[in-house]
Amino acid sequence: MLKAKLLIAAAAFSFGVAANAAADTVTFGVQAPITGQYANEGQGIEKAVRLLAKQLNADGGLLGKTVEVVACDDEGKATQAALCGRELSNKGVFTVIGSYTSGATAASQPIFARANILQTSDGTAEQLTQHGYKLFFRNAPPNSAEAKFTGEYLVKAKQYKRIAIIADHSSFAKGLGEAVTEAVKAEGGNIVYNGFINAGSQDYRSVLTSIKSENPDVIYFSGYYSDGGLIRAQQEALGIKADFVGGDANQNVKFGELAGKAAEGAVIINVPAPENLPYPEAKSFLSDYNAAYGENPPSIFTLTNADGMRAIVKAVQETKSFEPSDVADYLHSLRDFPGFTGPLGFDDNGERLGSAFQAFEIQADGSYKTTYPAN
Amino acid sequence: METFLQQLVNGLTVGSIYALIALGYTMVYGILKLINFAHGDLAVLGAFIGLTVITGLAGAGGAPANWIVIVAFVLAVLVVAIAGVLLEFTAYRPLRHAHRLSAVVSALGASMFIENGIMLIWSPQTLTFPEGIMPETTFHYGSVVISATQLFIVAISFVLMLALYLYVNKTRFGTAIRASAIDQDAARLMGINVNKVIVSVFVLGPALGAIGGLFIGVYYRQAVFDMGWIYGLNAFIAAIIGGIGNIPGAMIGGLLLGLFSSLAGGYISSTWQQAIVFGLLILILLVRPTGILGERVAEKV
Amino acid sequence: MNTTTLRRAGGILWVVGLMVPLAASNNWISILSIFAIYAVVALSQDVVLGRAGMYDMGHAVYFGIGAYTTAVLNTQFGVPILWTMPIAVVVSAAFGIILSAPIVKLRGDYLLVATIGFNEIFRMAMVNNVGGITGGPDGIFGIGVPSLFGYPIMSQGGMYLINWVLLGVVLVLMNNLDKSRLGRVFRYLKEDELAATTLGVNARYYKILAFALGAGIAGAAGTLFASQLATVSPSAFIFMESVTLFAIVIVGGQASIPGVLLGTVLMFVVPQVFRELAEYRYLVFGLAMIVVMVLRPQGIWPRRSRPE
Repeated sequence: MLKAKLLIAAAAFSFGVAANAAADTVTFGVQAPITGQYANEGQGIEKAVRLLAKQLNADGGLLGKTVEVVACDDEGKATQAALCGRELSNKGVFTVIGSYTSGATAASQPIFARANILQTSDGTAEQLTQHGYKLFFRNAPPNSAEAKFTGEYLVKAKQYKRIAIIADHSSFAKGLGEAVTEAVKAEGGNIVYNGFINAGSQDYRSVLTSIKSENPDVIYFSGYYSDGGLIRAQQEALGIKADFVGGDANQNVKFGELAGKAAEGAVIINVPAPENLPYPEAKSFLSDYNAAYGENPPSIFTLTNADGMRAIVKAVQETKSFEPSDVADYLHSLRDFPGFTGPLGFDDNGERLGSAFQAFEIQADGSYKTTYPAN
Repeated sequence: METFLQQLVNGLTVGSIYALIALGYTMVYGILKLINFAHGDLAVLGAFIGLTVITGLAGAGGAPANWIVIVAFVLAVLVVAIAGVLLEFTAYRPLRHAHRLSAVVSALGASMFIENGIMLIWSPQTLTFPEGIMPETTFHYGSVVISATQLFIVAISFVLMLALYLYVNKTRFGTAIRASAIDQDAARLMGINVNKVIVSVFVLGPALGAIGGLFIGVYYRQAVFDMGWIYGLNAFIAAIIGGIGNIPGAMIGGLLLGLFSSLAGGYISSTWQQAIVFGLLILILLVRPTGILGERVAEKV
Repeated sequence: MNTTTLRRAGGILWVVGLMVPLAASNNWISILSIFAIYAVVALSQDVVLGRAGMYDMGHAVYFGIGAYTTAVLNTQFGVPILWTMPIAVVVSAAFGIILSAPIVKLRGDYLLVATIGFNEIFRMAMVNNVGGITGGPDGIFGIGVPSLFGYPIMSQGGMYLINWVLLGVVLVLMNNLDKSRLGRVFRYLKEDELAATTLGVNARYYKILAFALGAGIAGAAGTLFASQLATVSPSAFIFMESVTLFAIVIVGGQASIPGVLLGTVLMFVVPQVFRELAEYRYLVFGLAMIVVMVLRPQGIWPRRSRPE
């Protein structure tokens, strides 16, 4: 909204000068949905970045410079994201962590690219790494990898015969939905329904009633948890017996709250949940996070963004340089960096390498149980 | 056929919620000729107060006892009715004789105020309602599923609407309300205390709206601070479909809108559902601007 | 202060505004840039609402159509930004005519409700990616910057000057409208449509014309908005934006150029002065709208009854 834009512009004015005043500091920007629909994801990212910065500073900073963090709230909206791009650039940030949604990330990408600022985001829409922005690094695996896994899971592992696919119109969910449709077809699966919902509209009974008449044995939803939880609940209320499988953005504690009892048995496909990460770095960061904020990170994306930031920090330390192009060159050849979310590297397009998907089922007590691949 | 029946059941449930909220718009418009843009937000306020009472008394987890649910509804109605009267006194009464657009902007300001007040008190995040506020039994007829919650919502809405209808049409004070809607000056000359009538409208409308808002929370099991405008807008469309200013019209308009919207979502397009509803609204305004039951009061220009 | 003095003062202020890039920081420049764009949209809203007296609460649609026209032409077909402006004006004005033609016969609140409907339908059309060109909920990114004589204007200052020039042009236009026959016809229509019709004024024609004019000007602002932010998305043109524009005109003063500008400034100065309010801002904003209306129902700087 107009007023919000003005506020951001005004805030940029008030803090812009201060951020770069001292040469012995380096500023890390956070662009995330701190308010609005995805607020808890955005707040998680900001908290993780602030915690990592604090830990860095306690160890003497980055190449001797104190790390400062400035955050800009993009509300998960493209227009706000463009304004955040301006604001953070004006503040002279060295790198930006974020944003959470693909749409908001895509809107600020060209601005950071023009301003010669490194950016790392969990946005999983394919297009993010296809613009040739040399300073952009995706810290979560892309839609195509998830879609391939999902196709295998639905058709080969679970042998579903009648598959219904729902997406919303966001670039992330639409892209994932399309990619899953392709993957299911490639596996020879049978899609009986393929449609869209309006994110945030609360009532999905109309579309579910239509789906019911197709008699599916599974409903796959590629959108976000706030809608996914309700779809699962309303599916149950309408007596649709089909299984529910959700894409990675359904993995959030709110999914279970919204779905209520119906959450039990729903399956979500993602890289492992924060609590289930086997890596020692992850375990120690989780306990630090818990000690600092008294809660667990809202989702795995808090940690993939933390990994993006850690990779950049690592690159600065190894190259002993704050020159973005040096850092980017190092990152493009990074392999098997021990990330919180598994071994991490980037290809020439800034695409994340290495990460294993899992299908996990929500249990009666709200915990996740990995069901595929069985190990 | 069963799919169609299921869509009807869904539509009827949403429609009765729209109808409850639409009554508040139509009563205020009938007397003041003012679109009370804050009404949808008052309804949402009801949902949040109800939620607070339920979680406060029942604690997290587990179905709340019946008396808690009843207390929640009663408190929501009381608080929202008081808020409605405060709204009338502070934002609308001083502008009663000003240019009508001033009152419209004041109403928009009030809407923004209430919406953000809710956000500040309860957080900007989506809050979830506990399960089991209403019985969760479901009834199956072939493949058509009707939940006890749906039956409760529809039944309570009908009882409330019938009560309002009887109150307005069969009591002395109801006659005063109707008279004030037709001609305030004449009503005043007949010895009717028009100010009292207006206050009563700002008690009744928000009270019913609060119940509608709480129904939204119970039915969808979630509430978010800014949902008032879309439910408000739909309820307002319902009031226009029925003929704004007309009390039975708002009831019929709400039900028709719920059914229409549900069928449009099921058979035409779920993504265009809301756009189709607005298309219908514009069509009705063009073809029969007085709505289905006609406006009882000539519009003040 | 009489009208001539006011006009001169306004002219001087505008010229002073041209010097801003020399003196101000980047952040002030972007604030004033966006102010200039919204001032133009608010003035265009005033043509329909304040001057012709039609309750248009969906004006963000025309602003959005202009912005999307520029975004699509620039990103898909590589049309230079400034060349897209006349096209954006024509497309927006055409939509102004098409959308208003069936509804101008509606009175008061009915028109208001119909325009809210248009606003929502527009938003949904953009979200649902009509024709595959609007980019869905995330909109369109990577819109270019304007260029003059082959030189791209990359600096914030350059962009600001273009916005400021458009504001100047629109201010002159509004000033002339005040004095012209067309302006008087609008005024008659607003004050007494029946009388105007008896005097031979074709009410329907002039009402549609008011919409076309208001929509066209909003479209021009849309072009600069798209270029300024390098992105357009449905959330920038939602019903709340229309409400804000509507409120600017009523709070500032209908058909009053200084009133409308003041209304727009308030949307800037208020949040700046009270920026420590952070999340309380909309609460205060809503309250301020009520208080201003109760204290000054005619607006802060109402039009004088005899402007000539």
